Amino acid sequence: MISRYTAEIGTATLTAGLGLAAVIGALEFGIGWGDAGPESGAFPFYIGLLVVAASIGTLTQATVGRHGLQSVFLHKEEAKRVASFFLPMLAFVVVARLLGLYVATALYLALVMWVQGKYRLVISVTSGIAAAVIFYFVLEVAFQVPLLKGPLEAALGLY
Amino acid sequence: MENFASLLHGFGVALTTYHVMLMMIGVFLGILVGVLPGLGAPNGVSLLLPLTFTMDPVAAIILLTSMYWGALFGGSTTSILFNIPGEPSSVATTFDGYPMARQGQATQALTLAFLSAGFGALVGVILITVLSSWVAKFALRFSSPEYFAVYFLAFASFIGLGAASPLKTIVSMGLGFAFAAVGMDTVSGGLRLTYGFNELLSGISFLIAVIGLFGIGELMLTIEEGLRFDGIQARVKIRDVFKTIATLPRYWVTLLRSAAVGCWMGITPGGPTAASFMSYGLAKRLSRRKEGFGQGEPEGVVAPETADHAAGSSAILPMLALGVPGSATAAVMMGGLMIWGLNPGPMLFVERPDFVWGLIASMYLGNIVAVLMVLATIPLFASILRIPFAIIGPVIVVVCFIGAYTVAGRPFDLWLALAFGVVGYLFKKLDYPIAPLVLAMVLGDKAEDAFRQSMIMSRGSLSIFWSNGLVATLMLIGLALALGPLLSTMLGRVGKPKGSSVVA
Amino acid sequence: MLKISWLIATAIAVTYGSMAQADWKPAKPVEFIVTSAPGGGTDNFARVVQSIIAKHKLMEQPIVVTNKGGGSGAEGFIYTKVATGDSHKLTFGTNNAYLLPYVAKLAYKPDELIPVAAMALDEFLLWVKADAPYKDAKSYIEAVKAKPDTFKMGGSQSKDTDQTLTSLIQDATGAKFIYVPFQGGGAAGVQLAGGHIDSNTNNPNENAGQWKAGAITPLCVFSPTRLQGGVKVTATMGWSDIPTCKEAGIPIDQFQMPRTVWLPGGVPADAVAFYADILKKVSQTPEWKEYIERTSQTDRFLTGQDLRTFIASDDAKNRKVFEQEGWIAR
Repeated sequence: MISRYTAEIGTATLTAGLGLAAVIGALEFGIGWGDAGPESGAFPFYIGLLVVAASIGTLTQATVGRHGLQSVFLHKEEAKRVASFFLPMLAFVVVARLLGLYVATALYLALVMWVQGKYRLVISVTSGIAAAVIFYFVLEVAFQVPLLKGPLEAALGLY
Repeated sequence: MENFASLLHGFGVALTTYHVMLMMIGVFLGILVGVLPGLGAPNGVSLLLPLTFTMDPVAAIILLTSMYWGALFGGSTTSILFNIPGEPSSVATTFDGYPMARQGQATQALTLAFLSAGFGALVGVILITVLSSWVAKFALRFSSPEYFAVYFLAFASFIGLGAASPLKTIVSMGLGFAFAAVGMDTVSGGLRLTYGFNELLSGISFLIAVIGLFGIGELMLTIEEGLRFDGIQARVKIRDVFKTIATLPRYWVTLLRSAAVGCWMGITPGGPTAASFMSYGLAKRLSRRKEGFGQGEPEGVVAPETADHAAGSSAILPMLALGVPGSATAAVMMGGLMIWGLNPGPMLFVERPDFVWGLIASMYLGNIVAVLMVLATIPLFASILRIPFAIIGPVIVVVCFIGAYTVAGRPFDLWLALAFGVVGYLFKKLDYPIAPLVLAMVLGDKAEDAFRQSMIMSRGSLSIFWSNGLVATLMLIGLALALGPLLSTMLGRVGKPKGSSVVA
Repeated sequence: MLKISWLIATAIAVTYGSMAQADWKPAKPVEFIVTSAPGGGTDNFARVVQSIIAKHKLMEQPIVVTNKGGGSGAEGFIYTKVATGDSHKLTFGTNNAYLLPYVAKLAYKPDELIPVAAMALDEFLLWVKADAPYKDAKSYIEAVKAKPDTFKMGGSQSKDTDQTLTSLIQDATGAKFIYVPFQGGGAAGVQLAGGHIDSNTNNPNENAGQWKAGAITPLCVFSPTRLQGGVKVTATMGWSDIPTCKEAGIPIDQFQMPRTVWLPGGVPADAVAFYADILKKVSQTPEWKEYIERTSQTDRFLTGQDLRTFIASDDAKNRKVFEQEGWIAR
């Protein structure tokens, strides 16, 4: 179980980090105001500072009002549901990078339908493959938009 | 009157069976590419372009513009049904369109969106029919300071909306600006915030951010709540479409105001995205049902859609007359003009009136065809929501990632979309507003460029922003819009010291 | 040093290639990588080549065009570099292919790409507003010299061709401009027509419409000879009536931008020869001549040794300006 307080602190730290990254990146360039107006680093620099400042503000607000934020951010039950959705999605991206988007699509759809949707294995696998084939025809054949491909497509001689 | 005669001639050119058939094909293909995020209008148009090399220019431009209208409508469809805007300009449609769909009013939301979009487009076309020569001259008066003032105006009308914590609004908007700054900087000619990563060279695509923040983020929330899409049981009745059409006149004030905002932003270089955000902001401020906005208020669908399409169609004119494309799609079409042997520019109206007026006439017809066709697809689209979530959920995931990949063909964007999805989920749960981030990302670098170009022109003096009547007026309206809510909150605080609003 | 060894390596490769011509053929669809956004000058160039190849069936395999215009085109060149040895990726650009790495820290070097051909030279002209009181380039430059740092010269992007040319003009004449970078040549043209800047150095194609409409007028062209085309654009002037800048009193005899085609490093010499041959055929079609004429570019097909000589001299000329202006990124 995660409390709202923890989530607030975590997110504010993340945004502060992003702001800091902008500040550091901007320092590589001039951040002053030359006679041709602001230099190229000025804008990201001050925006970054602003984000850091506002994030620290949020952190402070969260710490001060801590007892008001003891409400639950994520129940165990909810966390399980989110994980059951997020982890397959993460796996989908990993597989897509390794085997291409079509194979990943077929595997992902088939698995999710079978495991989570409780469909029969045959139906799930058929739907997954059918979806990948439809995407192939719509995108590659009809609209000539190439998707990320992997070893299977190469073996089949598809480009 | 002279324009009117030309227009009638244009109708004569556009109204042949062949051309009407092309319009229908174009609209159909457009809806198809518009529904798939990432594929979008620019892709569709550049794909059809080679086909048009052998066609007559009038027929070619009719096909391409019809596809463009179709894609715009398709983009609104996914905004409403799945919270995934297909184009930057349909982001504002998600604010109320998606809540409506979740409450089982998908049919109503889609009908309102299409009708008001059609209305906006028609107003835009009428405007350029009547004022074509004036519009082209007026657009010439805009330089960098005026551009900046217009962007400022768009920000100002959107600032201070919503009940979110001011600190979180600043964080969100600031991050949007920072993301927009990544990549090549026009004014200095150098790369910024790329940290040596090749993947960041071309910046962070707005579409990737939107697919993640809206599409994937929203799916995660839906799953967490253990909800299926509400309204699954709601049956799609054709009658609902007609019932909703009958309610449209109720929104006449919003319609007219949004069309005016749209035309204004289309002629000035603000563009459809700025128009839809600004129109939404104004509608919320001026509405009697402010509280309903963001929770499925029909006015919140009508306002951005009207302005979006009014701006989209009135922006065609400066493109033809000046040769400066207002969007990626327009840029592709302009490339097409040149390949067909036409040079965009002031002389196009004189040299090829049949082409220009045929195009304008086809904009009237194309939009009518498009509205009729999308209205006919509503039952189909709305019934998608009745598919069990175990199937449609993963399909949306796949479509999101395929969309993210097709934006630029970069594998890295898959990770980026995933990261934005997580951020979108966290932001939604912790009441960070997402709209300021999106607006800052779309207009941030343009506003910065315009500001710095102005500073180069004025040798670093801010006085350039009130150096002539036009820019001074724009800045004043912007300041009034920005400071207005601030002042009224302050006055409100003084008036009733025990403010009921608690900082979330 | 590196540059020379690269030149030698390509020289050998190409010589060998031309001996073993037509041994190589694409085995799958060929990808055209465009180093600009859709609608840009490079995009038009690539799509014209694509349409001509398709129309005359010069290649059996189909062509897929992808735009990778991020970072002023760097995205496309890095994509090409990473595809080392892939002979099915043809990259379209300008002289930005070898100039970009000077002004920005990028993950590719020009010698990691193989030049295939230069197909045309785009021209640069000096333009002012039509109702400005300058009849020729000389009087305009005199006016700028009289009031340094007040006249605004607009152009596309920063540290790119337009600003390089502005810098050359300043050097050659002693005039001093305020250079204002816009997103593209089209925008710079409209800003001039609207009177927000005083001059620009746009390509013919970018300003032709506004010239025809009488909003702006050309003063001179940065080319060794006058432009082709005797047809009148306005009532009194055609492209061939524009004096060269040297004639008009600005001592710059040549500033042109090549439209170039590249392959990734490490591809077989046969493949280089194959594409050079196809592009040569493209440049001989009437459709190509029509494109050249419509965009008022100079028709010049360079490949092999001629191309390398051209690149080396163009590279040196630009590098000098970059060094002098302190644009070199390190």
